[in-house]
Amino acid sequence: MRALWRLRVLLWLYPAAYRRKYGDEIVETMRRRYEAAGGGVRRWLMLSSLVVDALWSGACVRVGGAGQFVRGLTKGWGLDVRFVMRAMRRHPGYALTTVGVLGIAVSAGATVFSYVRGTLLRTPPYRDPAGVVAVWGSNPVRGQLRDVISGRTFIDLQRDSKSISLAAYHYSSTYIQVGGRPEVIDAIEVSADFLDVLGVAPVLGRDFDDRDRTSGGPSNVMISHAYWRERLGGMPDVIGRALITEGTPKTIIGVLPGGFEFVAPATLYVPLRDDVLAASPRTNIQYNVLGRLRPGVSVRSASEELSRVMAEAHRRDQPGWVDWTVLVEPLQRVSVAAVRPILWTLAVTVALVLLVALVNLAMLFEARTLARADELGVRQALGAGRGRLARVLAIETGSLAAIGALLGLLVTPFLLEKVASLVPLWIAIPGSALRIPVLRASLDAWVLAISLGTAVAGALALTVPGALLSLRRSRLARSGRFHRGVRGIRMLVGIEIGAATVLCLAAGLTMRSAARLLSTDTGVRDRGLLTLYFGDAWSSDAAGQVAYFRRVIQAVEAVPGIRSASTIDYVDFQAEDDFAGLDLLDREQHAGLAVREEWRRVGPRLFETAGMKIVAGRDFLPADFDGAARTAVINQSFADKHYGGASAIGRVINIHNQPYRNLEIVGVVADVKSLGPAAAAPPMLYVPWQGSKRGTQGLYVRVDGDAVQYATAVRDAIWSVDPSQPVADIRAMSDLVEDWVAIPRVTRALVSVLGAVALLLAAVGVFGVIAFAVRTRRSEMGVRLALGATPDRLMLELLRAVAPVVAFGGAAGVLAGIGAAYGARAVLFDVSPLDPLVLGWAAAVMTATALLATWLPARRVRQIDAGEVMRTQ
Amino acid sequence: MHKKNLIKPTQHLILLLLVEKPSWGIELLERLEARSHGAIRLNPGSLYRIIAQLVDDGLLRPVDAGVADRGELGAPRKVYGVTRAGLAALRVEAARQAEWVELARSLNLLEESR
Repeated sequence: MRALWRLRVLLWLYPAAYRRKYGDEIVETMRRRYEAAGGGVRRWLMLSSLVVDALWSGACVRVGGAGQFVRGLTKGWGLDVRFVMRAMRRHPGYALTTVGVLGIAVSAGATVFSYVRGTLLRTPPYRDPAGVVAVWGSNPVRGQLRDVISGRTFIDLQRDSKSISLAAYHYSSTYIQVGGRPEVIDAIEVSADFLDVLGVAPVLGRDFDDRDRTSGGPSNVMISHAYWRERLGGMPDVIGRALITEGTPKTIIGVLPGGFEFVAPATLYVPLRDDVLAASPRTNIQYNVLGRLRPGVSVRSASEELSRVMAEAHRRDQPGWVDWTVLVEPLQRVSVAAVRPILWTLAVTVALVLLVALVNLAMLFEARTLARADELGVRQALGAGRGRLARVLAIETGSLAAIGALLGLLVTPFLLEKVASLVPLWIAIPGSALRIPVLRASLDAWVLAISLGTAVAGALALTVPGALLSLRRSRLARSGRFHRGVRGIRMLVGIEIGAATVLCLAAGLTMRSAARLLSTDTGVRDRGLLTLYFGDAWSSDAAGQVAYFRRVIQAVEAVPGIRSASTIDYVDFQAEDDFAGLDLLDREQHAGLAVREEWRRVGPRLFETAGMKIVAGRDFLPADFDGAARTAVINQSFADKHYGGASAIGRVINIHNQPYRNLEIVGVVADVKSLGPAAAAPPMLYVPWQGSKRGTQGLYVRVDGDAVQYATAVRDAIWSVDPSQPVADIRAMSDLVEDWVAIPRVTRALVSVLGAVALLLAAVGVFGVIAFAVRTRRSEMGVRLALGATPDRLMLELLRAVAPVVAFGGAAGVLAGIGAAYGARAVLFDVSPLDPLVLGWAAAVMTATALLATWLPARRVRQIDAGEVMRTQ
Repeated sequence: MHKKNLIKPTQHLILLLLVEKPSWGIELLERLEARSHGAIRLNPGSLYRIIAQLVDDGLLRPVDAGVADRGELGAPRKVYGVTRAGLAALRVEAARQAEWVELARSLNLLEESR
């Protein structure tokens, strides 16, 4: 029977006489059709078809046939368009305000939606992306949620898993000689199945195959499409040619398709040999793994199977690691995890601004319709039906909205360029050290159509029906009871105040959050600190490496303006990680607690150069770097985690698989928040650098003044020692830190600007309503002034009329804002959604704005000449 | 022949079906669908718009089918039949269509189509 009532409601679309004559029969026929449709989706489809049919038939019956209905819709368009053009020329202020308001809202909306489209709704450039997953080694208890996997474990997983095909990859860099100087290029080492798992084939040449699986095979590489086009001139016979990297010739066997970019871009694809993977120690975890689920396999079952295989492998030869599991996640989801909350927050923010803009437009439009009630009344008297008037109003609003939206879209590319210059190119996947260039904007036809469509449809929906109702009310205006007609406008003001309050609150919270974040001590003095990677002393022995790096430091420190320089194997704030298995010996130094923590090998004066504070014990001394290492320094997090309240100084540590034994902890340094100010600093062990297989070192250079200005001088100093050594990634430490706070900083800027725009629009709305009320109630106020009322009293009345609307809208906005802030807590740092300072600030700003916007036009009451009004009356 | 005398194909088929057997709404919809081999599939609103038009033009009228059949709503199901004017219009239409068929035959179109 519920369905019957739903169907009967449709009869109201027909004229009453028609309904009486055919209503029962139509409902009965509809019911039979509806019931015959079956259940579920089919029934809903039938209901939708019945609704559309009733809408169309009702409209046709009302105007006397389908042909007449269509003719009625199209007749006289030219005349109406000319009428609208004349009206706009007469009131350019209204037209310009409408276009401007919508232009601002649409440009902001299209900018944010371009990022949502390009980042969250992007289709990755590989086959069936839903089946591609990221595979991590995971140990949440140890705080390592998404970690890399050892080569040997990868081989076990690949061999024993039935539910998923796997590939390993590892980002690295290499160098080629260009013009006699080494040039560093991005490379990715991939196992032979890498492209197969992604479902991508080279556009030229071939993929890696069994010949590339084992060492001793040919030295092959594949190159990116961009490198082939831009650096090799798109030569058609590139396959089979040699590319010399690090002094060794490699054969180019394939070119990747244009637009293909796996997680991070790479120029060179180098084979990762199975025997190399299998030979690496189980504890030497360094490879990222991706997989493709076999048909019908869920993420969960793949995760369970891989965890089982990993646990068995660890039980066999690494019993201390049996608590490690495998985490499998859809690659697309995890790669946008870091930016999803921010983008959705911004999307909601611009949607609110668009709402405020449209409500403003509706208020302007309704006030204007009331003001031109006489003109429209004349058109009605001359035979124009309400449909015709609606069409005139729709042409006016639709064309203004379309012009505003198009102008806004013209500005959008410039806004995108501005935002792109502010946001970082790389973002780390939460809980992992993998950095990806995830934030992309895409201003495509989809974004343009949605922006334009939302502006025009929203403007039409919010203006035309209200204006038609106002035409009825205009009769009240003529009967002297006009103020009842503005009730609808007051409701719109309330909505606008509410939305603007939400945005004020959002702006306050993001400002406070960003301020907290930016004032967080990162643990290094980033101003005046230059960082870079240099050297590739693979062939040197440890003593040769140490000698080379010492000569480089001497050469760099000899540059005028440079105070000190030191090495560290991984530069902080680059999301690099390097874990080692450690034995923490007890006080008697015979029992060891096995742990796995990050470690760094550093040169002399590293802490002084970086500006890191020693909180206990001492720094490394020059003597600590002579001979075998005997000392270590830990950071505060390491001390807190493993030694609790007890002093760590004097305790002894062994490092697995490394020539570092019986290291005595001599100092504790303050934490470096190397994963950004918002993340906890990882526990860290520092040891004196003694040479290593990995020849490349990070270099910290403390300078007087602007760090980047020393880039060329430092590079030349390094090349003065050995011109064949590559120098890469020269960046100021302050820029590296900035990468981690850029998104909160941009979010703060965008939300603040949008909040200010909403505030301005709300003020314009209130101002417009009061100015309109004063203008239309001029006669009534004039009479009251003549009868003894004071202008102040009348002004107070106007304020009283607005006060409840502001109070109600503001209170609703605060509640909605708090709710929204709880939903968007992920983007806030160290600020509660109930922060009293922000709540008070938002309420004060909103109240002050509303009072000012009321008071300014209310002053016009003083300009009413009571005598003149009485004479006119 | 003037355009206003033409009967639209759907109206024509409805009239023919109701000459064959007076019917009410859903029954007529089903017969229409069967006779047009699924080509004419109307929704109730559209069907009654055509019925109302034909009733207004005097070509159809509710007839007493002698059946006390009542629908779910308790209202009697109205059965529609063709009026004399409707029959006359159908005859005119049939004559006109016969002319067209003759023309098609003289152009050897009927044979070809077989």
